Amino acid sequence: MDFDFSDDQEQLRDAVRKWVDKGYTFERRRAAVAAGGFDRAAWGELAELGLTALTVPETHDGMGQGAIDAMVVAEELGRGMVLEPIAQAFIASNVLSQYGSADVQAAWLPRVASGEALVVLAYQERKARYRLDVCDAKAAPAQAGHTVTATKSIVAAGDLADAFIVPAQLDGKTALFLVERSAAGVTTRGYVTQDGSRAAEVQLANAPATLITTDGLPALELAVDTGIAATCAEAVGVMDKTVALTVEYMNQRKQFGVFIASFQALRHRVADMKMQLELARSMSYYASLKLGAPAAERRAAMARAKVQLGQSMRFVGQQSVQLHGGIGVTDEYIGSHYFKKLTQLETAFGDTLHHLGEVSARMQDTAGVFA
Amino acid sequence: MDLAFTPEEQAFREEIRAWVQANLPKEISHKVHNALRLTRDDLQGWAKILGKKGWLGFGWPKEFGGPGWTAVQKHLFEEECALAGAPRIVPFGPVMVAPVIMAFGNAEQQKRFLPGIASGEVWWSQGYSEPGSGSDLASVKTRAERVGDKYIVNGQKTWTTLGQYGDWMFNLVRTSTEGKPQTGISFLLLDMKSKGVTVRPIKLLDGECEVNEVFFDNVEVPAENLIGEENKGWTYAKHLLSHERTNIADVNRSKRELERLKRIAKTEGMWDDARFRDQIALLEVDIVALEMLVLRVLSAEKSGKNSLDIAGLLKIKGSEIQQRYAELMMLAAGPFAMPFIEEAMEAGWQGDFPGGVTANAPLASTYFNLRKTTIYGGSNEVQRNIVAQTVLG
Repeated sequence: MDFDFSDDQEQLRDAVRKWVDKGYTFERRRAAVAAGGFDRAAWGELAELGLTALTVPETHDGMGQGAIDAMVVAEELGRGMVLEPIAQAFIASNVLSQYGSADVQAAWLPRVASGEALVVLAYQERKARYRLDVCDAKAAPAQAGHTVTATKSIVAAGDLADAFIVPAQLDGKTALFLVERSAAGVTTRGYVTQDGSRAAEVQLANAPATLITTDGLPALELAVDTGIAATCAEAVGVMDKTVALTVEYMNQRKQFGVFIASFQALRHRVADMKMQLELARSMSYYASLKLGAPAAERRAAMARAKVQLGQSMRFVGQQSVQLHGGIGVTDEYIGSHYFKKLTQLETAFGDTLHHLGEVSARMQDTAGVFA
Repeated sequence: MDLAFTPEEQAFREEIRAWVQANLPKEISHKVHNALRLTRDDLQGWAKILGKKGWLGFGWPKEFGGPGWTAVQKHLFEEECALAGAPRIVPFGPVMVAPVIMAFGNAEQQKRFLPGIASGEVWWSQGYSEPGSGSDLASVKTRAERVGDKYIVNGQKTWTTLGQYGDWMFNLVRTSTEGKPQTGISFLLLDMKSKGVTVRPIKLLDGECEVNEVFFDNVEVPAENLIGEENKGWTYAKHLLSHERTNIADVNRSKRELERLKRIAKTEGMWDDARFRDQIALLEVDIVALEMLVLRVLSAEKSGKNSLDIAGLLKIKGSEIQQRYAELMMLAAGPFAMPFIEEAMEAGWQGDFPGGVTANAPLASTYFNLRKTTIYGGSNEVQRNIVAQTVLG
């Protein structure tokens, strides 16, 4: 039982934090949002830092690092509200390296690692909401490989990605496919989401597809759980910065002739924010530490983590706005953007109520970190 | 980072588990698992069993006869005891006053008092709160006047937990009214059988007498019972309180009570009620998160890196969780938690409890009783002040 980071992990954290502070200013981010919410150049810089290669196996030109390294990276990118979806690189490398054939791995993992290929998970369907076992997308065998027909929503950077990981029904069972955006039958409609990042509606009409695995549901669960762990870590970074901004503001803003940090009603609110932050940080560690556990244990852990993180995000975000007063609801102030980020992250890979239902359904007689 | 305990720690856990299994009397664990009334003999009986093994002072260093366990080992010991249904160790002797005697008492005092604490023979009580001094502890008024080689003590303490059983009592007394309130306080050990000591139990809202008022009327205390220096008692008290707050998360006991809550919900037909069950699920998440927080503190203690100054958070969350499980247990039984039949809280009661489930008898009492948790040990509002201070300055 040890929650210290290794020296390598501390160095990784420092390197990413330095890039965020120097290379990813609020002005740059604002410009990226105005330009559509995804900056390929920034993605390239993340790749140069080695972050897209982080969890790709070394045999495929990756760095072969684990969930805790990924967590450190996601936390730091969260601190800067980085728009480019590093979680997608973690998802692609985990799913392809654990479920993909040798050919698929050789074709895609080195390009994921180098940042050359942005491969994103396109799983969400309108009526499934957060349920992974509801999937209307259809796949069929074709002369070379398969074709997929599907409508997938809110796909991260979907109109700019190079390929999609897509669940679809094959012989009455969910299978997972890789579909290139440039393939015939693929249309996308991109837009900016509330947190400033980019997403798209993705339509596949008999689009040529490469089978990743016929064991689609477990693979999709791994993909989503990888996304949950990264989201939790990202949220910790966002919340850490949100609390810091709030504290800074309260110690410079004067009302009634004194700093508002002196008012007990507000101080107690900050104590409660600190509580939510530390519970969230604890459960983010828990999620990443459980990412390699057997599926049932992993799934239960992710649901617990997302329930905590969801509650924490909403509380910290809302209270931060309230404690800032009027300035907290302006677009000009950076704090409102952190609030919007937290709001959107709660819905990523299943919201609080969804995961509460998961926890509820999975409860056993005993419970705890080790049960 | 690694979530698992080391093989040595796992082996230690197994050793504790086996020993507790073999030595914890079943009639005591039955009462604990069902929140039935514990007698003085239950509490002290278990204390003496632990004392004989050398584990009542489980947090003590080897030089004072303790096992010299690491923070993780102490945690595992407490967890195994809690899950097995051992009564809470009455903390006033082994957990509270003993560390003060070790840190600030002289060799004579250590020799005189520590063996009785370690064996469980001597029951200690805490003399901190007064009618006018709750959260504002530094305002204590109980006077101790030095006359020759004695102190003459006059005044009143209150909320003295289980003081009706007390042999000895450690007290914060005022020895000076000069300067700041904190600077005139001394730490005095007092024989509760002394002339002039009156203990009056206070009946609480659950019908039980868990706390007492203690009156001092010209009580003579030998000056050799003063710990450390006169007027330095506040420093010693703070040492003690910091110890109290790290233990107070009580997550192990909450894990056990969560299991009991699930049993009650099943018996009462509430397990299949989605709305009710979601409330249990929320509590389960809270408990796992608190346990992770506790493990982070233990890890930080173990490595000396990333020190975590979050005792206040542990106290707040731990106490809120205790109140919540008690509330949900009571709500699970609903109206069938309301009949107030005091005898039904005795083990072995054979009466006919309304609704037919005798296990429901203590639920409301426990709910009422645990309202204390957000008040004692530094109220949660005081804790929030402390947390805010560390965050906001």
